[in-house]
Amino acid sequence: MANAAAMSAGAAPSSKKGGAHSHPAPPKIVAAAPPRELERYPLVLNNRPLNWITERIAGVCEKPMPIWWWPAFIVSFGGMMLMAGLVTYLIATGVGVWGLNQPAAWAWDITNFVFWIGIGHAGTLISAVLCLLRQKWRTAINRAAEAMTLFAVACAGIFPVVHTGRVWMALWWLPPIPNNMAIWPQFRSPLLWDVFAVSTYGTVSLLFWYTGLVPDLATLRDRATCKIKRLLYGFFSLGWTGSNRNWSNYEKAYLILAGLSTPLVLSVHSIVSFDFAVSQVPGWHTTIFPPYFVAGAIFSGFGMVLTLMLPMRALFHLEDIITVKHVELMCKVILATGSMVGYAYGMEFFIAWYGGSPYELYAFKNRAFGPYWWAYWSMITCNVISPHLFWSKKIRTNMVLVWIIAGFVNVGMWFERFVIIVTSIHRDYLPSSWGYFTPTWVDVFTFVGSFGLFMTLFLLFIRYLPAIAISEVKAVTPQADPHHPLGGAKEHHH
Amino acid sequence: MKTIPPPCPEPETGRKYWRSLDHLQDKPEVREWIEREFPDGASLAPDGESRRDWMKIMSASFLLAGMGGLATGCRRPEEELLPFGKQPEGYLHGGYKFFATAVPNRDAATAVLAKWQDGRPIKLEANPLAPGSHGTCACVQAAILDLYDPDRATRHTHKGTDVSAAKVVDALSALSKQFASNSGKGLYILAERSSSPSRNRLQKALKDKLGESVWAEYEPVDLSAGRAATAIAYGPGVRAVVKVGNAKRILSLDADLFGTEQGAAGAMAGYAKHRKPGDEMNRLYVVESLLSITGGQADHRLRVKPSEVLAVAAQVAAAVLKGGPVADKLRGLAASSPASTKWAEECAKDLVAHAGAAVVVAGHRQPLSVHLIAAALNEALEAPGKTLDLVSVPSGGDAVSIPEVVSALNAGSVDTLVILGGNPAYNAPADLKFAEATKKAKNVVRLGYYEDETAAISNWHIAASHFLESWGDARSLNGTVLPVQPLLQPLFGGLTDLEVLARLAGLEQTSPYELTRQTLKDLGADGEEGWKKFLHDGFLANSAYETASVSFKPGAVAAAISGPTSKAEGFEVVLHRDSKVDDGRGLNNGWLQEMPDPITKVTWENVVTVSPKTARDLGLPLEKGTQIPQDQKAHDGQYRQITLRVTVNGVSVEGPVWVQPGLADGVVGLALGYGRTAVGRVGKGSGFNAYPLLTSTGPLVSGAKVEMVTKRALVAVTQEHGLMEGRPVVREANLDEYKKKPDFAKNMDLDGHLSYVPRNPDGSIKNIYQSPYKANPWTKSDINQWAMVVDLGTCTGCSACVVACQAENNIPIVGKGQVSRGREMHWMRIDRYYSYDPNIPASSEVAADDPQMVVQPMLCQHCENAPCESVCPVNATVHDNEGLNVMAYNRCIGTRYCSNNCPYKVRRFNFFDYNKRDNSFADADDHHFMDLTGPLYHGPLGKNRYAEKEWEIVKLVKNPDVSVRMRGVMEKCTFCVQRIEQAKIAVKVQARDSGNVRVPGNMVKTACQEACPAGAISFGNVLDPEASVNALQNDPRNYTVLGFLDNKPRVTYLARIRNPNPAMPDYYASPRSLQDYERIRGENPFEEHGHGGAHGHGDDHGKAGGSGHAAMTGGKGGQI
Repeated sequence: MANAAAMSAGAAPSSKKGGAHSHPAPPKIVAAAPPRELERYPLVLNNRPLNWITERIAGVCEKPMPIWWWPAFIVSFGGMMLMAGLVTYLIATGVGVWGLNQPAAWAWDITNFVFWIGIGHAGTLISAVLCLLRQKWRTAINRAAEAMTLFAVACAGIFPVVHTGRVWMALWWLPPIPNNMAIWPQFRSPLLWDVFAVSTYGTVSLLFWYTGLVPDLATLRDRATCKIKRLLYGFFSLGWTGSNRNWSNYEKAYLILAGLSTPLVLSVHSIVSFDFAVSQVPGWHTTIFPPYFVAGAIFSGFGMVLTLMLPMRALFHLEDIITVKHVELMCKVILATGSMVGYAYGMEFFIAWYGGSPYELYAFKNRAFGPYWWAYWSMITCNVISPHLFWSKKIRTNMVLVWIIAGFVNVGMWFERFVIIVTSIHRDYLPSSWGYFTPTWVDVFTFVGSFGLFMTLFLLFIRYLPAIAISEVKAVTPQADPHHPLGGAKEHHH
Repeated sequence: MKTIPPPCPEPETGRKYWRSLDHLQDKPEVREWIEREFPDGASLAPDGESRRDWMKIMSASFLLAGMGGLATGCRRPEEELLPFGKQPEGYLHGGYKFFATAVPNRDAATAVLAKWQDGRPIKLEANPLAPGSHGTCACVQAAILDLYDPDRATRHTHKGTDVSAAKVVDALSALSKQFASNSGKGLYILAERSSSPSRNRLQKALKDKLGESVWAEYEPVDLSAGRAATAIAYGPGVRAVVKVGNAKRILSLDADLFGTEQGAAGAMAGYAKHRKPGDEMNRLYVVESLLSITGGQADHRLRVKPSEVLAVAAQVAAAVLKGGPVADKLRGLAASSPASTKWAEECAKDLVAHAGAAVVVAGHRQPLSVHLIAAALNEALEAPGKTLDLVSVPSGGDAVSIPEVVSALNAGSVDTLVILGGNPAYNAPADLKFAEATKKAKNVVRLGYYEDETAAISNWHIAASHFLESWGDARSLNGTVLPVQPLLQPLFGGLTDLEVLARLAGLEQTSPYELTRQTLKDLGADGEEGWKKFLHDGFLANSAYETASVSFKPGAVAAAISGPTSKAEGFEVVLHRDSKVDDGRGLNNGWLQEMPDPITKVTWENVVTVSPKTARDLGLPLEKGTQIPQDQKAHDGQYRQITLRVTVNGVSVEGPVWVQPGLADGVVGLALGYGRTAVGRVGKGSGFNAYPLLTSTGPLVSGAKVEMVTKRALVAVTQEHGLMEGRPVVREANLDEYKKKPDFAKNMDLDGHLSYVPRNPDGSIKNIYQSPYKANPWTKSDINQWAMVVDLGTCTGCSACVVACQAENNIPIVGKGQVSRGREMHWMRIDRYYSYDPNIPASSEVAADDPQMVVQPMLCQHCENAPCESVCPVNATVHDNEGLNVMAYNRCIGTRYCSNNCPYKVRRFNFFDYNKRDNSFADADDHHFMDLTGPLYHGPLGKNRYAEKEWEIVKLVKNPDVSVRMRGVMEKCTFCVQRIEQAKIAVKVQARDSGNVRVPGNMVKTACQEACPAGAISFGNVLDPEASVNALQNDPRNYTVLGFLDNKPRVTYLARIRNPNPAMPDYYASPRSLQDYERIRGENPFEEHGHGGAHGHGDDHGKAGGSGHAAMTGGKGGQI
């Protein structure tokens, strides 16, 4: 048994405890079973053995990809290439190929940036905050959510870079490189804070994700059937042996990274919100933005997690690992954050009136009833009304409905950013400079292409890496609990 | 080989100097040290190994450097330095000079100074020495662009093939000889109007030589229409020159004094003189059918059809004239429009009360009768000699008009038709069928600046030279003789009309220089000194037209006045001079094309203007919730206008509709000058041609039929929203209100509600980021601090400043497609707002019928607490120590955050490489969904569409003192920093050791300020007590736009004061925008309303900031 645990290096930490002891006798006195209503819902259904979990998850990336994967990949890859082409066109010709103008000097570019960076929030929240809060249900979804975070940050990072008029200069002037002219970036500008916030967030998220991957990479290495796989997985699993010391270091590192990531969840989107809150523009200049943006980010992030996870769950038959209970819990997070966002929308209006500035009040009236009313009411419908459907357990447990509503959340959150950005600046202080923004085909297809990039990366991820944290899921099974009747290292259970 | 320097011998006599005590003791090591050139070890040759290392490193470095060179292709551009063989006198490379010259336009030229740098003129400014100098109009500012227009006629042609200049001269001489034999029979000359004394002289000379030749003159827009009335009233050769500056009461009868009339700049200057609030403030009555900038300035404006102006004039005359033949004649006419009787009577009373200081001006489109009535009124109001001068004007001889030329052509009696300038094939009255008639002439010789429609019907086309390339002379409106002085050799070897005429007349002397000199000699600029002084000063002293001692002939006037011609049913059409391209002569000028129309803000074309009621009657869809027709159909953010077809007598023109508040109902306004077929690349496809409706009966046409066509057309406008929405952006009051509380403007908007804002101990508002000058006082210069004040009371919105700024600061034009996308680049714009009567609900039919109009020049406000600066991530926009918000273009990466955060939206972004593109895009459909760049810029791999040679010409107009910005860079007004720096250098050079380097307060003039005819813009160094901005900043009317944001702009505005007459039926107790503000905000700026006042918002403020207020402000009242 001890040998088996050591060989199957990715096994949950508790499973190797068995190796250190002789088999304990079954406890004589079994605590009375908790009342039914207090009984914890099992995190892995059907009392699946540990081996089944490994086989099922590792199997996804070991077996040939199902047929649907190929068309999905080709379409996504095409989208990615489309984006690459359009960005080249943009940089070669000028930002004017987008529909930007005076006064709307930002529109889809920054909308897309905030949209993608918001999506990136669920991953870190699930992995870091829920980790610290000991929410064990996170284990089924954290890996894919973190991967999603990274890919979303990659998509997000592109827009603010290429939206600048002179990208070649932006990459040179933005990093604080000491130079003989003693000119530094402008540290008062929220755009510079963005540079630091997003790059820090991307770096920490990558480290966190990779650290969590190490034990699973070792599992794949050990199960690898060909030399190349063994070499690559072996290289990236950093010589993981599954020893006690490995696990001990791993747990510490993971906890530290969780601690580091947690403030980032709050900081990144707060700082992104400063892009607006620090300005003078009526509709942007609002102190509610940081918490409201963070709530919105989590809201949209969970929307995207559900959008991706539900098909994945169905297509790879992971229903026992990503259970209906998991989905329900995510729905509840969406309900909570969606309510916060809805509250923020209301509060903005209240403050606009209460503040007594006619300019501020006009900005909000104009959002709801101005030329962009359709964007505002799309946002309200998707973000305020649709999450409240999750009060109903029937809807929460209906995977198709959940998937559709999650889609609404995604759409709504894109509109939210569009509404904030475009409806505020298209009519600000002087009526003489009021204008209207219309996207061009380049705007539209660049955004569509960013989904291609996102999906390409995600499809490659599920193709080559375990989309669910094998070791962590094992750790939350009853088998991993030495005090559980099924727990500890017992015969025939690995 | 190293040469060891010989030891310096010790001097044998004299003092001995020593370097140290050791030296004094003459220690051997010191001696050795002195003999060694380099310290120990330095002269040691490297041993073998280190020398090899050195070689290795160096060769590697060279290799890498070479690779870098290969990889990047970085190489200095090859430049050819060709020194002058002989240095021209007074030439300083990079320095500039001013030469006096004049911009001719019809029969009044503008005296200007041309800025000349490195062999070429780059900018025109008003000549401050010339009598009555007062800024320039937009077309003068733009005239320089024509010089470098690659589309101008660059060759002489005969039947379409290029010929040399020598051939042209030979042909002209041959003509001269041919007609010398029959004393000019069959020679017709059709010329533009000109004020040139030399041309008058040559006209006479030609007549003397070829007595049978016929001289004709034609102007499609005849600005001197009133001359015929003056001739009737006072005798031939007499002209009336209006002196608006002497008038306290002005009545305009359909005269756009400040816009499309002759001498608009002078009128604006004169008007501004008495526009300061006070007892001496003037009052302007305007009767008009279209809305003009003059109407926008009016204290009382009467909206009537063009045919009804006569009746209003008659009503005024009936009230002013006390008997006499004219009054008798008018009695019947006055009754025809009773609606305006009260208006006219009260206006007349006011005029009579100011007899001797009142003037009546009739517009050039109005018929003779209106001009005659105006003449009679002026006579009755004692205007001659006071508010208008009657002068006698020398003429070059009789001139027939174009119908006579055409009938001669049709009769076959024209052998050779010489067309000097103008473009009659395009703009001659349509009923004459001029182009067809010219086919009957054997020979058509044409001198023209463009190969245009008229070039197409000419056998000979002679390229004309630009006035900046040619010698000549001209007269200003009051007759002062001005030199037309060349600043460079003709770029394409063009000829002037003087030369052509001299050759036709067979004169010996044909050089325009000699011809002009001869004329000036006759006029009194004698000898070398007189000539030099003439050229230097830019005018001939005391050469104005002489005052005519004539008397008014009431009988002749009464006899000549006729009643309204029988009116046909239907719409009345006004074919008006365009405020930008004039009669079409400016159509290929990109600056003029892109200058927004002062009223409609439409660029790049003309539109069919109709009043809201007319539009409703025509069935245009209404805007939601209002009865105002939805002309501005914003489809995907762009204006796609319904097209209207205007038909008169079976001839129709089509153009996009523009619903223009303030127009008279039943009137259609069509600007002339667009829709040309043979035009350069800029003007191609721009607008529609309204000339087909222009017949010999004049620019006012009645009996038109107007119908909607289902087609929509894109219209590019720079301002989409015309209402202030109760925001006191432009602040105004009536004179009476102003007298009650002169500083009312400071008491408006949220500025009066800042008592609750946290403050510093010194009373200033507490900010997250302190004003840089406060946080770091050492960054504030105590030598120069710049500021600007704009007087909204005198700004008419003529937009001369917009073009002046464009010319000075190398601002590119972007084209119609880009303007329609909201990407115009003007650093300075004129915001135009309407205010409707707030007592009429917006849903009412008549809400937008009769608006008041205000204008506001808007440019970078140079905030001390600049919101753009704190958000730029790369420090590309920063504050300098003299109060300027400056752009470091090299540093800018184009995040555009600065533009978003600018509350005035005055920053402009280079979405494309606008400077690298050619101008040929007006015809392009570059607003199409797929075609985003148009035929403009094709990326770094695309080719510049200008041929290399053309590009060299286009570049010449750039001001070398100002950077030409590339794509991806933000730009904005710099307060003409190049002029400030030049002034600083000049002052420093002068100061030498005195240390007095302060730039005198009024020394620097920005380009907009210099161009402004009304003097509405003041700029200067506030640290100099003499600076005029200082006084204006302390003017009670001075206010800050959006002052409550505490951005502390360096540009402030003087509130506009209106001077309505309480007796008038359309009297308003407050300007409408102020009424609107009071209604929407529930505030009255004439009452104190500090913190917690009884008005609508007081309670909110109390709650929001109550605690902060008590602690922070120490009771400082409601003012900043």
